[in-house]
Amino acid sequence: MRSAFVAALMLCAATGLALAVAPRSARIPGLVALALASTGAVFAPVPSGWTDAVFLGCWIGVAANAATVHLRRGLRARWAVALSLNAGAWAGAVVALAGSRFELLEALPCTLALLATASIAGRRLPITLKVVSSWLIAVALLAAILPFVSVTPGYLPDHLE
Amino acid sequence: MDIERSAGDANAERMRRVQPARKRFPIRKTSLAMHPFRNTACRFRSTPTCALLGITILTFASPATAHMGTGLSGGFAYGFRHPFTGLDHLLAMVSVGLWGAFLGPPLIYVLPVVFPIAMVAGAVLGMLSAPLPPVEIGIALSVLMLGACIAFALKAPIWAASLVVGLFALFHGYAHGRELPSAADPFGYSAGFVFATGLLHVLGIGIGVLNARPSGRVATRGLGGFIAAFGIWFLYRAVGT
Repeated sequence: MRSAFVAALMLCAATGLALAVAPRSARIPGLVALALASTGAVFAPVPSGWTDAVFLGCWIGVAANAATVHLRRGLRARWAVALSLNAGAWAGAVVALAGSRFELLEALPCTLALLATASIAGRRLPITLKVVSSWLIAVALLAAILPFVSVTPGYLPDHLE
Repeated sequence: MDIERSAGDANAERMRRVQPARKRFPIRKTSLAMHPFRNTACRFRSTPTCALLGITILTFASPATAHMGTGLSGGFAYGFRHPFTGLDHLLAMVSVGLWGAFLGPPLIYVLPVVFPIAMVAGAVLGMLSAPLPPVEIGIALSVLMLGACIAFALKAPIWAASLVVGLFALFHGYAHGRELPSAADPFGYSAGFVFATGLLHVLGIGIGVLNARPSGRVATRGLGGFIAAFGIWFLYRAVGT
């Protein structure tokens, strides 16, 4: 399955997580950058042959944004805005190529939701942010690798059977 | 009309009889019927208890059967369910969180981060059918070793704990990858088992909250011994087959 919506959703979620660990001054510029870049990219003429590359860029973006949670010194404001800009561009491009434009409208609020949740959770239980980021990184790595795995081994019985 | 009127009179009579009883036993404003969640929360005031309760309910809740997966057999729901249906996976993943809680920061969050990433690497190896030592034995050993680490309250350095957990995660991921049906939605299935794995780690960390009390520490070490005993059983079965 290669759903543009899932890719954009995960990218938006990872961006929300990254903005939650960024300085407060970077949050609104980051959100604006994400919205502007995604809107620009969704209307941009992206060649259809770039689909694989755009998906790969999306998954790399998810892993990079989620990994910022593990930075010891936190994320700098400039980097937060730059990552949001990057995420917006990939999210818009992937929706433009493999989805419908309305899917972007459904994915973007996820950033806001995760930013709010992560900001609250991060104060009391910072471990939750790290666990969520590890899920996102793991799934993004897997999704990036899966297109290169052409053959799955088939329906094997469970190893306990 | 007469029948309706007589029924209305009977109701009015019944209300008159009930009314004095209500005056004697007035319904309190904070009754369970009016504030069910507030009253329930009163019994479980502490955040860790609430968290544990929530995780337990989530763990044992049966999935809704509508809109399962992503339209194909072996989608997200199947992947999510897999670690919960296999006791070996379940015990190993809970043990990772529990051992992390025993070791404290930074391993409390390093281990749950290392495990899913190494598991993904194992899943890809499984999908590629890469040769690996017998997976059943590796998984059984993971249950045994992690249980023993908790039972003996083993304090390992960061690199050693990460290496051990990462190695065992490869086996678990390999098993998931090998069992991935060819007609399945690989992304949904894999995302499902990664997500379930994370939840099981959180459950283990939640149980590890008990370590704050001396009696709780004994209980968690006992649980570790119990898990190790299961590991011996799994190993016996794996070697026997």
